[in-house]
Amino acid sequence: MGAVLREVEVRVLEALPPGQEAVGIEELARRLGLDQSPVAGAVATLAERGLVAVSEESEDEFRAGPKGSGWDGAEFPERRVARALVAAGGEAEIPALAQASGLSTKEVGESLRWLTQRGWAVKDGARLRAGAAWTAGEPALEPDELLLRFLAAHGPARRAAVLAAGEALDAALGRLAQRAGVVDRRERRRRLVAITVDGQALLAGGIESRHEVNELTTELLVSGRWREAEFRAYDVTLPGPAAVPGKEHPFRRILQETRRAFLEMGFEETRSPWVESAFWDFDALFQPQDHPARDMQDTFYVARPEKAALPDPALVDRVRRTHEDGGDTGSIGWRTRWDPALAERCVLRTHTTAATARALYADPKPPRRIFSVGPVFRRETIDYKHLPVFHQVDGIVIDANASFAMLLTLLTTFYRKMGFPRIQFRPAFFPYTEPSVEVFVYLESRQDWVEMGGAGVFRPEVTEPLGCTVPVLAWGLGLERVAMFRFGLSDIREIYLAHLDWLKETPLCRS
Amino acid sequence: MPVLGIPLDELFARYGATIEPAELEHQLHRFGCSVEGWATAFRWRCPSCGTLSEGGEDAAPPPACEGCGADLRSAATPGAPAGEVQVLRMELLAVRPDLFGPEGLARGLRGFLRRESGAPRYRVEPGSFSVDVDPGLAGPGVHRPRIVAAIVRGLTLDDARLRGLMKLQENVHWALGRDRKLASIGVLDGLRFVPLGFDPAQPHSALTPREILAKHPKGTAYAWLLEGNTKAPLLADAKGGVLSMPPIINSEATRVTTATKEVVIDVTGLADRHIDKALAMVVTSLLEACPGAHAETVTVRYAGETRVTPDLAPHEVVLDPAAAGRLIGVPWTADEVAELLRFMRHDATVVDGQVRVLVPAWRSDILHPRDLVEDAAIAHGYDRIPAVGLAAATIGLPQPREEAAVRARAALAGLGFLEVMTLAITSEEATYRKTGLPDDDRQATIENPISVEQTMVRVSVLPGLLETLAINLGHSYPQRIAEVGLVVHADPAEETGAAETMVAGFALAGDGLGYADARSALDALLRETGRDAGGVRYRALDWPLFIPGRGAEVLDGAGERIGVVGEVHPEVLTRFRIIHPVAVAEISL
Repeated sequence: MGAVLREVEVRVLEALPPGQEAVGIEELARRLGLDQSPVAGAVATLAERGLVAVSEESEDEFRAGPKGSGWDGAEFPERRVARALVAAGGEAEIPALAQASGLSTKEVGESLRWLTQRGWAVKDGARLRAGAAWTAGEPALEPDELLLRFLAAHGPARRAAVLAAGEALDAALGRLAQRAGVVDRRERRRRLVAITVDGQALLAGGIESRHEVNELTTELLVSGRWREAEFRAYDVTLPGPAAVPGKEHPFRRILQETRRAFLEMGFEETRSPWVESAFWDFDALFQPQDHPARDMQDTFYVARPEKAALPDPALVDRVRRTHEDGGDTGSIGWRTRWDPALAERCVLRTHTTAATARALYADPKPPRRIFSVGPVFRRETIDYKHLPVFHQVDGIVIDANASFAMLLTLLTTFYRKMGFPRIQFRPAFFPYTEPSVEVFVYLESRQDWVEMGGAGVFRPEVTEPLGCTVPVLAWGLGLERVAMFRFGLSDIREIYLAHLDWLKETPLCRS
Repeated sequence: MPVLGIPLDELFARYGATIEPAELEHQLHRFGCSVEGWATAFRWRCPSCGTLSEGGEDAAPPPACEGCGADLRSAATPGAPAGEVQVLRMELLAVRPDLFGPEGLARGLRGFLRRESGAPRYRVEPGSFSVDVDPGLAGPGVHRPRIVAAIVRGLTLDDARLRGLMKLQENVHWALGRDRKLASIGVLDGLRFVPLGFDPAQPHSALTPREILAKHPKGTAYAWLLEGNTKAPLLADAKGGVLSMPPIINSEATRVTTATKEVVIDVTGLADRHIDKALAMVVTSLLEACPGAHAETVTVRYAGETRVTPDLAPHEVVLDPAAAGRLIGVPWTADEVAELLRFMRHDATVVDGQVRVLVPAWRSDILHPRDLVEDAAIAHGYDRIPAVGLAAATIGLPQPREEAAVRARAALAGLGFLEVMTLAITSEEATYRKTGLPDDDRQATIENPISVEQTMVRVSVLPGLLETLAINLGHSYPQRIAEVGLVVHADPAEETGAAETMVAGFALAGDGLGYADARSALDALLRETGRDAGGVRYRALDWPLFIPGRGAEVLDGAGERIGVVGEVHPEVLTRFRIIHPVAVAEISL
């Protein structure tokens, strides 16, 4: 029974020297006048059937490096400098040699070390004197120069080819050891093929070849020849080349999930400027003007623009009176003088609550639900758990029937949507909410409760000056923490100073 | 936020029982106190002033005596071991300085845990002591024109209580006094003026006020409080002997010790509200700590005004119980609200269906009836509030600007870019000098940067993209990254003086990549985001960021620049140590 082989496989067997001498696949492809890939495919099949033996060897390959390939005529700069030096009478100011040699000042500077090492020149302060090697005319090319010239002329070459060309390779490489980028060396693995005894026996016995195709082509389809073709079976267990899709940042997914959660619950999205007036960031929220959070220590003040325009004077006046003595809100106020100059100051917003306060003033008529997601700024030194920029989601519910119970339920719903089923509420203090609450979620990984943010019912001192008389539920929740827990990060900087490996390896779906 | 260490033995002594640690922590969280943990604190006595200081858990004396500042680790003034104590470490809640000591915290917990109810009564008798305020202090240029004072007699101070008093004073200074700016407390027992920490045996060591500000550690620490003032008050006795120099320091001769049976407490400040509250906190805490003690009033005489202090009269607030219940979402009766408030140590009774609340003088945080609604909710327990769903129908509506960003990100992901997020604040160095964007002097700048790397709000996402490539030099190429986000420019026409633009930028890095690749991705992005509507054209752009002849600006139909694209100049790449060609583009959305 004659064996059935594909045409290309038969040709490979026939092309191999009968004495079982190994041949590189590249060489084999050249002999057959074929591309490497079908030859490699044929070799693999033949090897599986024991008709050829495949071995691997590694060999260095050399090519001109980024620096060396940039030199005109593959000539080392020091040779050009030395030539210019001799032309100038054997001695010259170093800066003058740049123009004389046609090199940049930087290149001349870098060549000094090699001029000295080759004994081509001696440095004397800012002057250079030609060395003895150049007194009797231009010296012959040294091994490293010869190597570069060879590589520039012939392209990448294997060690064997370089040696065959008579180059003093080791001497050249020794010269270049301290000099990166002139000649690059990389390891090349090559596969060698030799015919086996079985292969020889098969050839001797006669083979029948079969028309087998790798790829279905338009030509095969149009001509109808596909009917005669046999499609080579693939090894379907082998992996394909790695591929990573373009995709959104893992933290972006948290931000988008947050937006979606509130949009689904009937919330309207709002926004406020990053450069914000102290009025909207603090005063409208009943944050006293001497509150430590307003210190230069904690808040980024903006030098340009320095001042923001205050809103409607009637609103400013209501806010002022509320701070000073409670105004019409039933409060006693902070009992300190309120200074409009401090309210005009520009800050980088310290929370997205400025956005919901603006939205509340723009339209305080219930029922409304509003949220905003975005970066906020605090004057923090960067370390593994602090950044001067982080993201928050702020939201408010303006509703005649709004209650603290409704707020706690809403926060529970939100964190359940974000993947935190266990939630705890503890009393807290914020200047602009009363009652106030801190939200904790239970982390299985830590076996502990972790604080996620603050919430409460806006104080009447906040809502009434803004024109709202019904309860307003409000919250401001940090989002980086959600991402850190979700993705198991221990360093918040990973989010913003991202390594592409992390971005690629974090899958789109929730782990 | 500062952390407070409450000695457990004293807390339980004042509370009247012990509580299991886990239960105490749980109840404190329900009460609104943030427990940091438990610790063993070692105590050390100062050989020069006798004050008891607490060291850390490493059983080494603290470097400075809490009383006089002497170095307790030095051979000259070695601290003597004085036992150890279990402490509860809590974060200070700035609004409740009345809870800052074991006495105040125990007073609160006795109510919250239903052992007592209503406000405790303290014995205050009329006293004969008076303070005359120099009319000169009423004029301009005086940093603290107001004073209140009280006398407490029958004290039984031991080391622990003395230390507690000192700590309370310190913490009230921080929370209510805003680091002594609004209120500064003195507790005095004596007549001569020798500043604390200087040897009373050497009378020549007494300092003048000016010397105190220049030389004494407390003087140099708090001198800023007097800046801009031409006159400062001194507290003197009838013979003219100086007692203290608020807010800086007390006299050595008036130092309170365990032998002290009587003290004069003075609080100076800017406004009566703060100093009245501070005095009430200190006086009532002392009376809680020393059960047999009582207070006496002091008459403060200003020109044309006389006050008798301490003013421990409660402040009356009338609360609508139905409205309170609606706000919390629990259908309370008036009696229930009154009872809950009594557990929070208020006096509360129901009068004509309303709750009449008498808020104790030591509570500084009740500005509005709403604050009492929260007190009732805390006493009820946040963990016992029922679930209530959102009722009204509203419609979810996204911000158009955010949606535009979402679409641009989708297009960029489809084009194979990995999204990165970089910090929105950066520096002029990174933006203009390193990246080579033209400096049009329109960036929003930070007045008080915390680092030279963040001095302005970004005007482009391109510097952040190049920085990201620089972080990933070792990662395989090609690299395709993109960022969509806001950039900011100063703009006087805007309300806040700055205009924001949503931009989309990307970078391609790798051998063989160049202008054509960036241009092709940019054209696709312009098309997918609809930014090419009305036509766009390209014009050569000569920025240092780009290789000459390989940069362009994108102009919309009206000739306005909406973006840039180009191959990054090797000079720029070298500054970022990037060794592969990079092409970038950025457009506004």
